[in-house]
Amino acid sequence: MTATGAAASAGSVRYDRARESATVLGIYLASIAVALMVAALVLFATGGSWTSVLSALLDGSVRGPGRWGTTIGVGIPLLLVALGTIINSRAGLVNLGQEGQLFVGAALGTYVATHIGVGGPGVLFLIMLAGVAGGAIWAGIAAVLRYQRRMPEVLTTLLLVFVAAQAVGYGLKNKNLLLDPTPDQANRNLISERLRPDTRIPRLDWFGNDFPMTAFIALLLAILVTLVLRWTIVGFRLQMLGRGPRTAHRAGVSEARYGGLALVISGAFCGLAGAFMLTGGDFGNYRLTPNYPVNIGWEGLLVALVGRNHPLVVIPVAFVFAALRTGSGFLAATGVDRDITKVVQALLVLALLVPPAILFVRDRRRALAAAAERV
Amino acid sequence: MTSPAAELTGITKRFGAVVACDNVDLELRRGEIHGILGENGAGKSTLMKVLIGLVLPDAGVIRIDGEPRRISDPAEAAELGIGMVHQHFSLVEPLTVWENVILGERVRLDATAAKRRVGEISERYGLAIDPDERVSDLSAGLRQRLEIIKCLRRDPAIVILDEPTSVLTPGESEQLFEVLRRVVERENKAVALVSHKLDEVLAATDRITIMRAGAVVDRRGTGDADAPGLARAMVGRPVSLRSEGAALGHIETFEDDPAVTEPAVEAAVEATEPQPVLSIRGAVARGRDGRTLLDGLSLEVRPGEIVGVAGVEGNGQAALSDLLSSLLRLESGTVRVRDTEPPPGRPGAMAAAGVAVVPADRHESGCVLDMTVEENLTLVSPPRARTGRALLDRAARALLDRAGRQAHAERLIEQFGIQTPAADAPMWSLSGGNQQRVVLARELSGDPVVLVAAQPTRGLDVGAIEYVSERLREAAASGVGVLLISTELEEVLDLADRIVVIFRGRIIGEMDRVNLDVERLGLLMSGAQEEAS
Repeated sequence: MTATGAAASAGSVRYDRARESATVLGIYLASIAVALMVAALVLFATGGSWTSVLSALLDGSVRGPGRWGTTIGVGIPLLLVALGTIINSRAGLVNLGQEGQLFVGAALGTYVATHIGVGGPGVLFLIMLAGVAGGAIWAGIAAVLRYQRRMPEVLTTLLLVFVAAQAVGYGLKNKNLLLDPTPDQANRNLISERLRPDTRIPRLDWFGNDFPMTAFIALLLAILVTLVLRWTIVGFRLQMLGRGPRTAHRAGVSEARYGGLALVISGAFCGLAGAFMLTGGDFGNYRLTPNYPVNIGWEGLLVALVGRNHPLVVIPVAFVFAALRTGSGFLAATGVDRDITKVVQALLVLALLVPPAILFVRDRRRALAAAAERV
Repeated sequence: MTSPAAELTGITKRFGAVVACDNVDLELRRGEIHGILGENGAGKSTLMKVLIGLVLPDAGVIRIDGEPRRISDPAEAAELGIGMVHQHFSLVEPLTVWENVILGERVRLDATAAKRRVGEISERYGLAIDPDERVSDLSAGLRQRLEIIKCLRRDPAIVILDEPTSVLTPGESEQLFEVLRRVVERENKAVALVSHKLDEVLAATDRITIMRAGAVVDRRGTGDADAPGLARAMVGRPVSLRSEGAALGHIETFEDDPAVTEPAVEAAVEATEPQPVLSIRGAVARGRDGRTLLDGLSLEVRPGEIVGVAGVEGNGQAALSDLLSSLLRLESGTVRVRDTEPPPGRPGAMAAAGVAVVPADRHESGCVLDMTVEENLTLVSPPRARTGRALLDRAARALLDRAGRQAHAERLIEQFGIQTPAADAPMWSLSGGNQQRVVLARELSGDPVVLVAAQPTRGLDVGAIEYVSERLREAAASGVGVLLISTELEEVLDLADRIVVIFRGRIIGEMDRVNLDVERLGLLMSGAQEEAS
């Protein structure tokens, strides 16, 4: 038995968690710093001053009167989309259709809101439910195609975004569906009726900043997702499926059931994000318009990516992304194009994709250099 | 006398804290087959990789024909006249034999010349092969023949073979050694034969270097060596256990010693009475590409017996293991586990019916590398929370009992001697032997009816092999039906009470330990049908 023990310990890899995480964190921070420096260089090249741009961004996102309330309002759907994305990513699936799922959710919510004719908390709840159903159905199509017809969900979810835009566009041309039927608004094409005031989310006013109450629901959902992934059998099995599909199959995790579930839940989160946008008031002034999602779906996907698929980490990331969005409105005064914030976002995303590559190259280089020296 | 073809002096190579080679000297002479003998993990392969330029040594000198050389990649080694046949095939299956031979050469493609060259080599060395055949249609023996042709086409002065017989039937191994003898005698080449099997080193080589734990422990002329002495040198103490002898490829160990064999024989006789715990009938399965994986396979395992499935790799072993892991659907046929008939292919059905599996590729279907050790120990039935109140329990069952899981994991880590820094360390941080223990611990702790072990000792060191073998015997002794699927004939011979031979997706022969006939077994493995008797 002594031989067994010795052989086993000689073969085991040393694993120093604290030191390795410190190194990894350091590399991430350095990478983000470099990204921000590159952003400053880009600004410099376009003739802007980065101090004034930063100042404008901060004014627009948090410092200006009432601005952080607006940023929170924008951050809510970003957070929801990111949470949904985390669920499908943890199950090993790629959902690229958040934009479409969100749009369908918002459209179905609009339909319910404008066709019921009454208001009140019950109707508000129905609108949310319709949003959830819309997103879930739209992602569900991709799930059915994936598990019945073996079509990769990467493609189907992405392509369904364009189908969603066309379908909602059709609804917005048709008075029986979504188009505002009010006769005296002939020039207001392709826009839905405005939601009745009693079907809107109440807004809170804190220190002169107002934002919809759904902010708390979004935070609760982030905690809920964390708990489900960590403390439930379903969460455990979803992640098993993502990390070892064949092992999971043998252990009794049905790919179709759990993978399908993950996609549908992911879509449901996006649909709910759409319903929150519709009833929250920060987007489209309580009316559905063409191009209603305004890239919130795509950006939510990036939030999940930057947040390394962690449901609590994405909360601050969603806020930062929302701040870049709200802050960009204030850039006009500095003479810098507001699209610069998109460059910053892209650089941030890249900055978080670079460290894993650096770590890989580092380990390889070290081994090669050490070997070359000795021979 | 001229200088040796290759001379390695003071070769040292460390991987982290592990010393793979420790100041090793080795001399390969022309006209000789040099056996390099050692357990798995003794440093043989690393030493050969140094010579072929795949591994750069930390210290030491390599002389080729007396000249000190620095070999930093296999292309340089090839220029110096060193060729290697690796343990695992590196062939492109959809291509033909001659296409594989010229693959990687930077010359104008000339099919006729290439085919002629293949013909010349196969004639010169007696390696008959059809240059136009597709590799996917070749048996393992022919594939290896092709690998050897690939190596010989550059006419190397030094030929290295790394564990060449692991995929061959005994007959094919003998043919291989004849070819090697021809290469050495006619062309005065130097051959290095790396192996952990005593018998083949004794039979095929002129000189033997024995390695243990990264160092050379003995050098002998083959004429002066005998099996017990070599085994002692290899393991570092007298070898007594049957499983160890078998792990070293020494089949005679148990035939010499009837006292050891008897209990197993009795067990086999006793085991014939009860109802089988596993019975597969007429299993037919096809792969996605339409290839037949199982072709009417039938077999039975009774409680308390170890049934060994012998056969050359690629004859349906993987499909059989997949079938019992719920990873394969059947076109026809049934699987019965005791009184149930779990539907093949339905997720978790086999596991739920009580079939435990230690798969050949544990990374693919045995464990999840990116999860922790404790998660891996509870993949199949994660412990569920309980409240003690009937009403709440229904809801609580959806929750993980994380504390319970940790306690369960720590118990198994202790019980199975798993070397891990912590219960929540990631699975990838464990060595192969310890990962295998995790799989074994999980599967055995679930009170299985049947235990399927596919290549359970592949890539493990002798200590771990001994451990796994003991556990399999223990499981059988406690009434579990054990199905051992292995391409290592010695392992099957060592452990099994009854041996069945798998060939092209079906069982074509069977014999029990009492009527064991190794020669007939070898014939069956190469596809010779059983005679009418």
